Amino acid sequence: MAEQQVQEKRESRRKATKSAALIGPMVKASTLACQRAKEEGKKLAYTFINCVYDEIVRAMDIVPVWVENYAGVCGAKRDAERFLSRAESLGFSRSLCTYALCGLGFDQWREELGQMPPNAPWGGMQKPDFMLSSGQILCDPRDKWFEASRQFMPEIPVYNVDLPWPLYEDDVEVAEVEGYYVKYIAGELRGLIRFLEEQTQKKMNYDRLSELVDLTERTWTLVWETYELRRAIPTPMDTGDAMNTMVPLAFMMGTQEGYNFFLELNKELKERIEKKEGIIPDEKYRLIWGGGLPSWFALGDFNYFNSKGAVFPVETTYRLIEPMYHLNLPDIHDPVERIAYRFFRLWTYWYDKARKRPGSEPDVERLINYIEDYKIDGVVMHEAFSCRTWHLGLIWQLNQLQKIYKPIPILRLGADGAKKAEMKELPSLILESDIIDISSYSEVETHNQIDAFIETLESTKRQR
Amino acid sequence: MPAEGNVFGMTQHTGYFAGIDIGSTMTKAVIMDEGIISSVIGPTGPEQRTLAHHTMERALDLAGIPFKSIAYLVATGYGRINVPFADKQITEISCHARGVLSFFPHARTIIDIGGQDSKAISINNGKPVDFIMNDKCAAGCGRFLEVIADSLGLGLEEMDEISLKSANPARISNMCTVFAEQEVIAKLAGGIPVHDLAAGIYRSLAERIVNMARRIKIASDLVITGGGAKMKALTKAISDGLNLPVSSPAEPLLTGAVGAAMLGRDIMDKALKEGSMPETKERSLVQIVVS
Repeated sequence: MAEQQVQEKRESRRKATKSAALIGPMVKASTLACQRAKEEGKKLAYTFINCVYDEIVRAMDIVPVWVENYAGVCGAKRDAERFLSRAESLGFSRSLCTYALCGLGFDQWREELGQMPPNAPWGGMQKPDFMLSSGQILCDPRDKWFEASRQFMPEIPVYNVDLPWPLYEDDVEVAEVEGYYVKYIAGELRGLIRFLEEQTQKKMNYDRLSELVDLTERTWTLVWETYELRRAIPTPMDTGDAMNTMVPLAFMMGTQEGYNFFLELNKELKERIEKKEGIIPDEKYRLIWGGGLPSWFALGDFNYFNSKGAVFPVETTYRLIEPMYHLNLPDIHDPVERIAYRFFRLWTYWYDKARKRPGSEPDVERLINYIEDYKIDGVVMHEAFSCRTWHLGLIWQLNQLQKIYKPIPILRLGADGAKKAEMKELPSLILESDIIDISSYSEVETHNQIDAFIETLESTKRQR
Repeated sequence: MPAEGNVFGMTQHTGYFAGIDIGSTMTKAVIMDEGIISSVIGPTGPEQRTLAHHTMERALDLAGIPFKSIAYLVATGYGRINVPFADKQITEISCHARGVLSFFPHARTIIDIGGQDSKAISINNGKPVDFIMNDKCAAGCGRFLEVIADSLGLGLEEMDEISLKSANPARISNMCTVFAEQEVIAKLAGGIPVHDLAAGIYRSLAERIVNMARRIKIASDLVITGGGAKMKALTKAISDGLNLPVSSPAEPLLTGAVGAAMLGRDIMDKALKEGSMPETKERSLVQIVVS
């Protein structure tokens, strides 16, 4: 029973933008491209997002196989359970990262059969030639998942890239330690290049790498400027669509296709703003998706929010970019060092701002800035039980926010110098489920919570 | 047999408002004017639309008024969408808050312990401002008590009474209802007295509810509602756990339905003040009967 494929006819989430509607076919095409690359004898690498090796991998004509993406695809198609169950039957706990469990179940099944598991979504995840893991503060499966995968593919080497950044301390200037970190990260990336050169028997083309680094930097700036268009009232795009447009952001960095996608999205959003075309006709509540990966099998819940007059003009999830004029990178030409600086400055970008607000922290500071910039009425977060990284900090972030957005009138100094009383209360909702394990989800209960949250937003709005 | 009657006494009939609360375990309905004039409490069955019809019909009979004299009707609870004759559906969070505030105007925190879920609501300026629900697991709600009472061979009221005799509540460490039941059976076999086991069960349930409630800002006055509020041992354990005095309405199962009716009255009042009339459904129960 556990390995039966679940066939369920469902209505897909309605997309507001034409660009977001293109993503499904793009992901499918990219999965099939891996299959073609395999047949053509190209080298394939298992890869994770946000590991800044994108341009290095692409400059060496290695085809990335994004393992988290494939698990997400299985989840979105509500076909992850058979892979999760298989991993569980191998002794892996269900409380581990379910992306990793899905991948491990898939790998073991594919290796046991010597071919793709039956009816594998979009043709299946290709066997890699090597796996690129990453020791990061971001999450532990990034260096443990591939170690575990080697139980089923012992001949496939793993290369681990250590990518540290300093944790926030309100009395430490990160500039003091930047040089050390950048040197270390660049050293790690150079080690990766040596490994890839050995594996592919090809030398890195540094001119090409420079071109791709430049392309990525331009893409980051373009993505940021495009997403900032969502500040408009009514917002032309919300987080529901951003959970689609994260695909070129996370999986196509350093590609012209990714850059072109955001050029088109930028154009589309400007047109929608010009026509005052919101994603719903009557935008009543503006929410922030304040943290947590989404339930890929329940993206339709964003439509449910929309049906209640709520939109999400902004989210923190997957928005791991800043424009180059924010990061202010030093004028250096070594592409590897440039990647290292970009990585370091992205992760420490909010540190200086947080230091200026007593009691704040970078993650909270980022939320406060988005809440103010996007005129937000409430916060929604998602605690995915299997994602420890997100889970641990969300409650704390909400508690910190509640110290600022209190249900009492405060006096604000207006532009005219006059003080006016204003309620800064910010209702919040924490949804509880998982990224791909659908057994943790109940649509009826989730919608009931959303209904109650909308009523809370309405009552708060009336009190203002 | 469903409980029914004039729980809060009869008052003048100046305008009638109805609330119906279809919970996962119990269905409740009230008809109000300035106070409650009739109420019905009965189990929720599988056919909620028929149940809604019969419950409302019974409440109208008890009140001695025809359906067409109901000015506004609000449905709440998990089954609220299955009340086709309701003028509006409102979640139980808003309805519990409104209902509780009508009995306890100074309430700041509400803990509702239902059959299949429990929830905590934070109130500020007379409005719900935050809430948390435990609807993922039976271990935080009334169903947990039913399962354990069954394994101890006791009724729910009996288990409540017996547990109050305990000076040494047993430690129940399992969070899962099924495992907790096994643990209780094992401890019973090991000679732990029934009253200590029962007290341990209430303490265990109270700890889970308290931990959930702590995720919102808990302030006195604290009011407990729902079926769980009828268990003296449970309300005491929650009070001890939070180190706060707790209150409960005389009939804690009715707060959602009362709140629904009162929100209906609020909607009507607001509309009248604005010189309009809210949209209402045709007052006919016959049309929606499902055979």
